[in-house]
Amino acid sequence: MKQTLRYDQISCRLEVDGLPDVSAGHALDAVGILTGWRLQWAGRPELEGQREHLVALMEVVLPYARHLISGVGRRFGDADRPVSIAPKAEGSHRLSLRSSQGDQATLDLDLDDAELADLVRVLDQLRLDRRLALPLSVPSSRPLRGRDLIDRLPLHRRLAAPLGGLAALATAAGLVLLLPPPPAPTPSKGPAASSSASGSSSTPGIPSPPPSAPAP
Amino acid sequence: MVLDPSAPSPVPLAAVPAGSSSDASGAPEQVPSLSRRGLERLDLLLLCLEALDLNGGEAMVWMSEQLGYGQLFPNRVELWKRRCYNPLRRACRRGELAGQESDALIRILCQMADRLYPMLRTLLSSTEPAELAAQRWELFQTRLADLVRERMNPRRSGVQKLLDPAAGDAQVRRMVRTLALGAGSGGFERLRASLLDAAV
Repeated sequence: MKQTLRYDQISCRLEVDGLPDVSAGHALDAVGILTGWRLQWAGRPELEGQREHLVALMEVVLPYARHLISGVGRRFGDADRPVSIAPKAEGSHRLSLRSSQGDQATLDLDLDDAELADLVRVLDQLRLDRRLALPLSVPSSRPLRGRDLIDRLPLHRRLAAPLGGLAALATAAGLVLLLPPPPAPTPSKGPAASSSASGSSSTPGIPSPPPSAPAP
Repeated sequence: MVLDPSAPSPVPLAAVPAGSSSDASGAPEQVPSLSRRGLERLDLLLLCLEALDLNGGEAMVWMSEQLGYGQLFPNRVELWKRRCYNPLRRACRRGELAGQESDALIRILCQMADRLYPMLRTLLSSTEPAELAAQRWELFQTRLADLVRERMNPRRSGVQKLLDPAAGDAQVRRMVRTLALGAGSGGFERLRASLLDAAV
């Protein structure tokens, strides 16, 4: 009754043990109850765990690979999770596995691109295997939004637009300051002021013309 | 290393099954079309496969027939015409590639990458002898550069950047890594989602 599903790649092998859930009508070669799994790496310690650990591994590795394809390398999995993965250097990825058993320290595995691709492929093979009659809730791949991709741009390109805007604003403000100030508005003159001005035509220093003689 | 079963169980991020192509009502999902940037990346990834496989053009036609796209791409000219939606091409076509056609091209890409995965892995592996790895990269990049010069518009900045020895190497390595992570049936969703990313 015990079934073992095996998925091989060049650097790793994933084996999943389980039983068919006969009460759910599964075929005899199906795995409806997952009892354990093992991941063997060439030249590395073997990993094993229960179903929740396998789901935790898939939940960080598959989205990490999805983001890497878009050129975004960021950490997946918090420090309190059993599994996390983060980019380390160019072409290198650190997979950290934490055990809640007190006597075991965190196991860090540095994978290169090829080993990461192998791991992704065995997890894909497991996920898509029809014999696995067990829902493994892994996030589906979705297009990334602009704000998710902003980290992909170098800092100078990210700052170019806001700094260019600020520079344009400062230049425009400086040019405005260079312009001559507009003339002060002259005070408006009322009718009384204009009549008094016309009445005082005998301006000092300017003789007023003599009254003209009447015509003969 | 044994992972303790008493560790807290992670919360599922989504309940959508992988590989689902229809919504909850059972209606077929509306296939979105790729942006210009997505078309560029798709065609360049196909070009990478041609650089890896000397008979890549014929292999694409064969793969298309194997996957049941014989009516969509009845011959290599039709396949080539769809790839010419890449704006970086010398003779590029205007307009949008239909979603069904772009999905077919992505599936062809994933299956060809799956077939060439050993070569992709060899290029990416850090355990290969350094001298041998450098020779393999040089050979691959030379073939890719020849194909780019032959088919792409050299006046486009994207093409110039790809042919630039400094900036182009990193970009080519990212493309090879993309092919390795998108190989096979499982890679289709990842690659398609990536090609549909928002423009920045």
